[in-house]
Amino acid sequence: MVTGEAEQTEAFRKEVRDWLIANLPEKWGTPEYVAPERFSQEAQDLGISWTKRLYEAGYTGFNVPKEYGGIERPGWQQAILLEELSRRGTPPGPQSLGQLMVIGTLMGWASEEQKKRFIPKILSGEESWCEGFSEPNAGSDLANVQTTAVRDGDEWVVNGQKCWTSMWKFADWSLLVTKTDPNAPRHRNLTYFIFDTTTPGFSRRPLQQMTGESEFGEMFFDDMRVPHENMIGEEGRGWYVAMTTLAAERSGGGGAAAAAMGLSGYGGLIVRTLGGVDSLIELAKKTKRYGKSLWDDVTFRQRIVQIAIENQASRYYGTRLGIAMRKGTASGNEASIAKNSQAEQRKRQGDMVMEIIGAYSQLMRGDPRAIDGGEQVYNMIRSRGATIEMGTSEINRNIIAERILGLPRA
Amino acid sequence: MAIELGLKEEQEMLKTMARDFLANECPKTFVRQMMDDEVGHSPELWKKMADLGWQGLVFPEELGGSAMNFRDLCILSEEMGRAVLPGPFYSTVVLVGLPIQDFGTEEQKQEFLPKIASGEIACTLAALEESGDLWAEDISVKALQRGDEYVINGTKLFVTDARAADYMLVAARTKRTSNPEEGITLFMVNAKEWGIYIQNMNVMDLTRKQYEVRFTNVPVSSKNIIGGLNEGWAVLQQIALKASAVLSAEMVGAGEMVTEMTVDYMKERVQFGVVIGTFQALKHRAADMHVLMEYSRSLMEWAAECVKEDHPDTEMAVAMAKSYCGDAIKFVTDAGVQLHGGIGFTWDHDMHLYFKRGRYNDTTFGDSNYYKELIANRLEANLI
Repeated sequence: MVTGEAEQTEAFRKEVRDWLIANLPEKWGTPEYVAPERFSQEAQDLGISWTKRLYEAGYTGFNVPKEYGGIERPGWQQAILLEELSRRGTPPGPQSLGQLMVIGTLMGWASEEQKKRFIPKILSGEESWCEGFSEPNAGSDLANVQTTAVRDGDEWVVNGQKCWTSMWKFADWSLLVTKTDPNAPRHRNLTYFIFDTTTPGFSRRPLQQMTGESEFGEMFFDDMRVPHENMIGEEGRGWYVAMTTLAAERSGGGGAAAAAMGLSGYGGLIVRTLGGVDSLIELAKKTKRYGKSLWDDVTFRQRIVQIAIENQASRYYGTRLGIAMRKGTASGNEASIAKNSQAEQRKRQGDMVMEIIGAYSQLMRGDPRAIDGGEQVYNMIRSRGATIEMGTSEINRNIIAERILGLPRA
Repeated sequence: MAIELGLKEEQEMLKTMARDFLANECPKTFVRQMMDDEVGHSPELWKKMADLGWQGLVFPEELGGSAMNFRDLCILSEEMGRAVLPGPFYSTVVLVGLPIQDFGTEEQKQEFLPKIASGEIACTLAALEESGDLWAEDISVKALQRGDEYVINGTKLFVTDARAADYMLVAARTKRTSNPEEGITLFMVNAKEWGIYIQNMNVMDLTRKQYEVRFTNVPVSSKNIIGGLNEGWAVLQQIALKASAVLSAEMVGAGEMVTEMTVDYMKERVQFGVVIGTFQALKHRAADMHVLMEYSRSLMEWAAECVKEDHPDTEMAVAMAKSYCGDAIKFVTDAGVQLHGGIGFTWDHDMHLYFKRGRYNDTTFGDSNYYKELIANRLEANLI
């Protein structure tokens, strides 16, 4: 892997930076910019318009074939793009996990017509998606889903409940894992569908999290009828399709391409946290506690440095993973390593900020004295979810131990 | 500048060749034999390594070397760490050979490098004193000029493989000013001179012996100054930089070996009627070991490439690698002992060899805390 080729990469970086300056919302990144409330209609509209801009500029669908609306450009360009998007902290766009994991699944299992019908509209932002996977009794143990689908002519009748669904509120379409054969053995009793969220019998409601927000929702199916043609993969093979979705999710959708430049895992998260180290240092330098700057405290300083080191280690691990993928020596299970480390780092980084701001770590959005409008506190609370979603840290450790190190299953 | 992680084909070959050679020539029975040996150096193995071109790996061909690069040296060092290779390879090549190549005059290179490459001589660095840290102010061994030569007096500590060395690169004070970094000079001293008294330090890691070396009126020619009179501190810093990258490579090799040994044991060892590898608490610890070593390798390969390319990020890269690998090797060897249970705590089991070597590698040339401070300074400087 050559990350060198300096002129070429720098030229592309400049192109992206110039484009961002010209295309980001007015006053973006300045104190005057007022961001829409998270998960509001306004935020959704901003995300869609931003997605559309990136699509029109040819900055989305890097490893998606042209016939499905992709651009087939090299992975290093995607990596630089993600890096620059993260640096500016852009609105959520088509690089978001949900979109990429749907594309990953459709690319792997959908029919030609389905790919042509759905993928371009995901890339352009015209249609939003969510993932109907987890249930109250099927979290880490996904194979235990209880939502049923029963065949009735050319349709399937779905009954049950999904929960912990991200992007539930505005999704036009959703993925759906159902149990279709109660008598078949585990892992062979599931079937995978997609459905239109305007289908009668479907309803959804918010699920409030410890952040106070409802980023996730619950979805209910009451005799919801899904056309047979919306099945993805074969009947009874839903588990395997779901594994594709989860792998795409864990490896950040962009997968190989993102990993190639050291950005495996949560898309641009590593870069976001790397950038965060600078701001941690600045914050520690300007914060005086008990009469002295926190940066002058060896313990604080060294823990911030540790975060910087770990961020850099993730980055180069991603680079190595990208090489392994190209050589064909990666198994795909390595995504669990990147995912875990990043989620755990995100927590540590959030906690570090709280320690620096001390008493102010209690002030949430709405309090005039809240630091960064309460964003830092929100991020710290939100990061508790990072080690749970997309496979808990414990499930990922099992994957590392069993599938990479070859330790036996219990 | 090309920072290339992963291995090229010829590097894979070097790695495989080194692993096979060391498996044959440096089994643990040999390591233990060397632990019990006063000098801890096998001339036979030294000669075989020289025949493979290892001591001269990075030296130019006209000086008897193989003209390979620093990254290749790190690949070799990984394998040496994996085998817990005893003997003066690291002290000869990394602590003395590299600085002569980097700072020596043509004459000095001609004089010493071919002898190192051929295995004729072994060398070491005598830099540390009572503080145990590489810190300019702490260097107080004196070298006084007397005609064309200098006379060295004082005591050096933690001198690696001193008894095996034919030459010692000695850091001595030749001038005292308000700036402690000024006035340090490095001398290539014949270790067999009268007035050099070497005494064992009873170190934990017997695979890499360390000594107290006392110099009493030891003469050395001014022609043997490496890197300029009073300008030795810059040389020492460069030695520390490259040695830290090499020590990181050794830690990666060792840590990966410890992880493999532990995972293999977990697949065999039966308790409560099942192999212990089925227990989730132990599995998770093994997963953590693996992850730490993957991240260690990532930083180490980056650091080795930076040194090779003389990249502007070199100092940062090496500091991050050394700090992270130092923490990782301590975690991994501790977990290695723990997961082996009682047998892992015995002298007869090999786990303690890695445990102790890991401590040497972490401590030497600055431990993880030292490097974090260095990184902190650089990160702060980058802000402005």
